[in-house]
Amino acid sequence: MIETLTAVLTALGPVLQEGGAQTINQAPAIPNKAAAALAVGLAAFGAGFAERGIGAAAVGAIAEDDDMFGRGLILTVLPETLVILALVVVFVVPAQ
Amino acid sequence: MSTERTAGGSNYEYVIARVRSRRAALFDDDDYRKLIRMGPGEIARFMEESEYESEMNALGARHSGVDLIEYALNRNVAKHFDDLLQWADGQLYGYVARYLRKFDVWNVKTIIRGLYAGTDASDVETDLIRAGEFDDAFLDQLLNAGSIEELVELLEPTRFGDPLAEAYAVYEDEGVLVPLENALDRAFYEDLLTGLSGEQSRAMELYVEFLSAEVDFRNLRNAFRLARSGADLDPSEYYIEGGKLFTEDEIRQLARNRDQLVEFVRSSKYGEDLEAGLDSLEAADSLIEFERALDAALLEYSGRLSNRYPLSICPVLAYVLAKEREVDNIRAIARGREGGLSTDEIENELVIL
Repeated sequence: MIETLTAVLTALGPVLQEGGAQTINQAPAIPNKAAAALAVGLAAFGAGFAERGIGAAAVGAIAEDDDMFGRGLILTVLPETLVILALVVVFVVPAQ
Repeated sequence: MSTERTAGGSNYEYVIARVRSRRAALFDDDDYRKLIRMGPGEIARFMEESEYESEMNALGARHSGVDLIEYALNRNVAKHFDDLLQWADGQLYGYVARYLRKFDVWNVKTIIRGLYAGTDASDVETDLIRAGEFDDAFLDQLLNAGSIEELVELLEPTRFGDPLAEAYAVYEDEGVLVPLENALDRAFYEDLLTGLSGEQSRAMELYVEFLSAEVDFRNLRNAFRLARSGADLDPSEYYIEGGKLFTEDEIRQLARNRDQLVEFVRSSKYGEDLEAGLDSLEAADSLIEFERALDAALLEYSGRLSNRYPLSICPVLAYVLAKEREVDNIRAIARGREGGLSTDEIENELVIL
């Protein structure tokens, strides 16, 4: 699934860039902030995908041993850091 | 029976986390060292404080001594392996069930023997291990079968139906159970390797290799037993297809002569793993140690695979084997102590890595 997504994005990238180069006066197809929002969304998608497996394993471990709850919870939300890092992009990118 | 369960994706992460936790709870070397020095009563008490607590409590009122240990072990195995089948989804279910069907074979064999000997159904029931794919209701139905013929009819829709029906004709002529039991065993082992999904991955290749090793070892064991007993039986009748070690023709020649057989195995791909077992077989003419070596080799191989391919069928299979080994070991200790064997003799019976 991820492979097809990257394939689509790499195919789309040059098209968008060329569009921007030919008509200099016009605004880009995706405004800066919208692109940043996309980045956050994709990062969140990736984090969710990673958490799917970890969460399943964590629930399994907790079912066997209640003491694993804390560790399981921490490991499950660890990929969430990806989203937080991606959120930085929103503030770094200029509005125009 | 398994068609609906194998639809959809597999949940390896969940099953493997649970399986690994359970594997860690198995008895280790220290526990065995303690157990070997205990009498049956002490073993029962030791088990009450471990993993087997609930089974020991449930059965404690009705049985005692070694029987109690034995039934508690059977029930515990059934509980754990039933859990595996309950958790697993998708193809993982198929892979696990494929192996656990050996308990179906065991149960059917037990019921057939009970019917043959005219044992009471409730006595037979205590010997069942309800771990296979047959559910409780179906097993109860089988238990209540009045004759072997009725049993064979009940099993008609299952995967054992056709081979059993064929074997039943032979049974009627000769009046011995061997053809029925052979038919069940062969149906199980030949099913192991046929109809696997086309999933292409290294772990899948290893699973197939693992199962064919299991078939090979089974063939090897039969060949050695035949060569040793010197019985004038046709070895190819006991040959199970699917293995990679020998062909039917090879086994027919080799089973006549033990030395040739040892030489053949030594030069095969299993030679290295089985070296110690083969040496003791040549030196002491004892099949027991060789069979232990086979078990230990299989167990070690599965353990290695489960560490190398964590998200595959391998850890589940390794757990199943380790659990079976634990049950066999405890049973050997309890029976050995009851029979008054020395600690050294019991140690020889155990498979510990």
